[in-house]
Amino acid sequence: MSGTIVSNRIRQLRFEKGEITQQALGERIGVTRQTVNAIELGKYSPSLEVAFRIAEVFGVPLEQVFQYNPVRSPSKRPS
Amino acid sequence: MSFREKSAWITLIAILLVFALYALHGPGVAVPGRFELHALLACFVAFLVIEAIAWLVLRLRYPEDARTPKDERDRLIDLRATRIAARCYVVLSFLAIAVAIHLTHDNLAVGYYVVLAFATAEIVNYGARIIYYRRGV
Repeated sequence: MSGTIVSNRIRQLRFEKGEITQQALGERIGVTRQTVNAIELGKYSPSLEVAFRIAEVFGVPLEQVFQYNPVRSPSKRPS
Repeated sequence: MSFREKSAWITLIAILLVFALYALHGPGVAVPGRFELHALLACFVAFLVIEAIAWLVLRLRYPEDARTPKDERDRLIDLRATRIAARCYVVLSFLAIAVAIHLTHDNLAVGYYVVLAFATAEIVNYGARIIYYRRGV
């Protein structure tokens, strides 16, 4: 339940790309500020669509935003 | 804390308050017959009133958040919590019916336990939402 095997650089990219707030990023990708926060903290893995929107906002490829860490064994069962 | 998490807290507290009172008026404690039906109705109305007032206060205090539609995380949390609660309700209902028939042979007691099973499932539902919001989904 807690933590995902996908890490991300959203917080870093927000500050590199003009200090975008979580609220502003959320509005641009169609999610709430709390969801942006949950993604940054690794508490929620976004859908592919939202992931691509985030990459588009920062103007970088998807793999520069999200990294898959297969070392951590997934504790979640597929739903 | 998001608006929807606050709403979940309100509903959870309202259910706990109202159905704790309802549980105190169960078979063996309450006067049997119509009183239990009245207690159930009173609890239902009390729950609606508490929910409506708390929701209105929340909406007036956080108007911007209240207008924000559910996003994909909210919908996922809804689905997962509802799935857990539905399973819980089915299992508890069968248990409630079995226990009530075995112990009391009273139709009103069956109804009483089924309502308690429903309330418990709703507590599980909103409890799961809060856990998913706080610990991640």
